[in-house]
Amino acid sequence: MPDQTSNGMRCNEFELLLTDAIDGVLTGTGLDRFQAHARVCRTCGPLLAEAEAGRNWLKGLTEVEPPASLVMNILASTTGVDTQRLRVNARATQPRISWWEHVQASLFGSVLEPIWATVRQPRFAMSFGMAFFALSVGLTVAGVKPADLREVSLRPAAIRHAYYNAHARVVRKLDNVKAVYEVQAALREVKRNLAPVETAPQQSRPAKPKDDKNDTTQQPEQKQERNYSQIDDHLILASAPLGPSPSADDLPVVSVTTYRRFV
Amino acid sequence: MEDVQVVAMLVRRCIAGDSAAWEEIVQTYSRRIYNICYRFAGSGDDAQDLTQEVFIKMYRTLPSYDHTKGAFVTWVTTITRNLLVDHFRKGKQDRMTDSMDTSASDHEDAQPLSEQIPDQSAPPDAHVRSREVSETVHAALAKLSPELREAVILRDLQDMDYKEIAVVLKVPEGTVKSRINRGRAELARLLQRTYRQVM
Repeated sequence: MPDQTSNGMRCNEFELLLTDAIDGVLTGTGLDRFQAHARVCRTCGPLLAEAEAGRNWLKGLTEVEPPASLVMNILASTTGVDTQRLRVNARATQPRISWWEHVQASLFGSVLEPIWATVRQPRFAMSFGMAFFALSVGLTVAGVKPADLREVSLRPAAIRHAYYNAHARVVRKLDNVKAVYEVQAALREVKRNLAPVETAPQQSRPAKPKDDKNDTTQQPEQKQERNYSQIDDHLILASAPLGPSPSADDLPVVSVTTYRRFV
Repeated sequence: MEDVQVVAMLVRRCIAGDSAAWEEIVQTYSRRIYNICYRFAGSGDDAQDLTQEVFIKMYRTLPSYDHTKGAFVTWVTTITRNLLVDHFRKGKQDRMTDSMDTSASDHEDAQPLSEQIPDQSAPPDAHVRSREVSETVHAALAKLSPELREAVILRDLQDMDYKEIAVVLKVPEGTVKSRINRGRAELARLLQRTYRQVM
């Protein structure tokens, strides 16, 4: 700060009196000289205004509340004392929550909240709507009316009675089905007895040569041909048989070998 | 402020091993120490840790307290202040010392500190006690240099007199007043510039 003289007061003297002036303890001629210097000095005048403003800003700051566990932590870290009384005090500062609110909070927080988050999704709502629609249509088709449900008695005796009725109905139905099957079986037996005796088998198939190793006909093995023909997109060799034929006139003049794609 | 005899008795009981006396001391002074630490350190977590450290140090050095040399609250505040300064030096959190208008960064384009304070949407007179304003002032306070900050905290937030502050800070009373004036002026300049930009 420049050492400036104005109205008989130097700037460093002004700064020393600044706190007293702001605190309101500066009075009399000292205050007059101070104010006169503040009015004319271009350095000290703004300094007074700023210092007053800064003090007002700081006075606006309120005390902050320390954490509830601070005292307990301090005692635990100094004396190792973790008294029950302090725990009670710390608990007393917290708002009381009834057991029902506690159950509600824990239930909603841990169980219902994820379910509710899923339910709120549009696709789940759509699926639920479709399921409800299908159920209502099914009930309508089945002839179930909501008005009928009013007449349903939910007394244990009535439920037991309904259960036995349904069970008896199912048993009767099964017995009836069993009787029908027995009648059908008897009819089939009668038919089989009345039918004429069937003729002997027409022609038995030629027996397969037992030893293929002795075959000298030069014919390709049929099994091999069958395998070729069974596979799609494979070429099938079409050729005249080279083995003995029934007549000599049927012998081909030219032996032609073609490849044909089996479609 | 405090009844010297009562506090002296409390300290004697505590030194003798009375845990209830120590608990009473903790209950009485924890709030004050926490607030000093909070305003100086800037964050609640740091303030909580520092407050615990202050009480640990106080618990160990309690027998050295002499009630004839000064008030207990001054002794406690001195311990707090020394620990805060140690913490500050350890963390190398050196702030800007004098001018708030200079840039904190070496870059030419860097904003001055006054422009890094969050803007406010209302004039200061209308919302001087609102929470947003408190946070702004708290943030501006954290930008002051440690010497100016501790002086204004002890004077304007803890209402200590200049002699006590001089004892705590171990500087002459004139220096205390000068630091308080400069700290207040810097804070006002910083906040006024912020609000002027908005208006």
